[in-house]
Amino acid sequence: MSSGYQDGKFAKTDWDQWLAEHAPKFLLFARQQVRYEADAQDLVQDAVVECWRRQAQNTPPAAGQIFATIRRRAIDFSRREGRRAVREATAAEGIPKEWFDSGIEDQERNSLMQEAMSKLPGIYRDVVTLKVWGELTFAEIASALEIPANTAASRYRYGLEELRKHTKQGFM
Amino acid sequence: MTDHELEIFERQLRQVKPAPVPECLQARLNQQRPAEQKPVQVLERSRVRVSNFLRLLQWLTPASAAILLTVAVVWRGDQSGRLNSPDAAAPALKADDIKIHQELISSFDAVARLPSGEPVRFRCQTWMDQVAVSDSSRGLFIENRTPRIEVVPIGYETY
Repeated sequence: MSSGYQDGKFAKTDWDQWLAEHAPKFLLFARQQVRYEADAQDLVQDAVVECWRRQAQNTPPAAGQIFATIRRRAIDFSRREGRRAVREATAAEGIPKEWFDSGIEDQERNSLMQEAMSKLPGIYRDVVTLKVWGELTFAEIASALEIPANTAASRYRYGLEELRKHTKQGFM
Repeated sequence: MTDHELEIFERQLRQVKPAPVPECLQARLNQQRPAEQKPVQVLERSRVRVSNFLRLLQWLTPASAAILLTVAVVWRGDQSGRLNSPDAAAPALKADDIKIHQELISSFDAVARLPSGEPVRFRCQTWMDQVAVSDSSRGLFIENRTPRIEVVPIGYETY
């Protein structure tokens, strides 16, 4: 992390750098938690703001804390979602956002990965996402998802095995 | 799937990067950038100054009340003496006992946020300052009670 955090100041450049580094991971996780892109973006914004405000010092919050907040907010969100109008379904569905960076070379592989990830049961997908792209440890994943660390590890292994079955064409 | 295969597959997965954040979200997040804060030491120093001032005020208030009361009693005694017997000089009040007492009525903590978003805890206390002046030679006893609210900002180390 930048040395700008040391004296309690957090400059604009530090903020931009922090966002560039972390926001894509948060959004990837959020997109897997809710159905609509707009909701996923709202979740990321709310979680980032909430976690920053909770910080006693003006230092960035841990990524695990933000993932945990996104998850909690998504659970609240899904409870309310039942009451949401059909208008959202018609307006937002049918515009699936790409979860992964689709460069020209890897476009096929990445869409295969997205399809495989979306087929994976949520409990495995969460752990795989947090470990591979969130770069959390099993202890941090356990804390974020409120599960034992051993469960996180076993879900990760099972999740990878399932993912590999579905992506054999794209990966060796 | 062996551990080795797992590691290779994991490495391949890591090469797949999450999609970048859309510009609209990027713009929204940029607007939420936390404000730059002054160094903590400066804040603490200002809190200490405020705290010292309030502590001084805690003693000044009853002391000044006692002085004012004494002056008022002396002046009133002087005035009434003049009215009752203009020729005879009334003996001045000689307070032989002054008691200053402070009683804590209530105490509670409140949390507020600085414009920068940092939480600050305030300890709010209500005191009753009591000043009693007596002049046993003239059989006088005067008591004054004044409520006082004291608000002291204190550190908020953990949140």
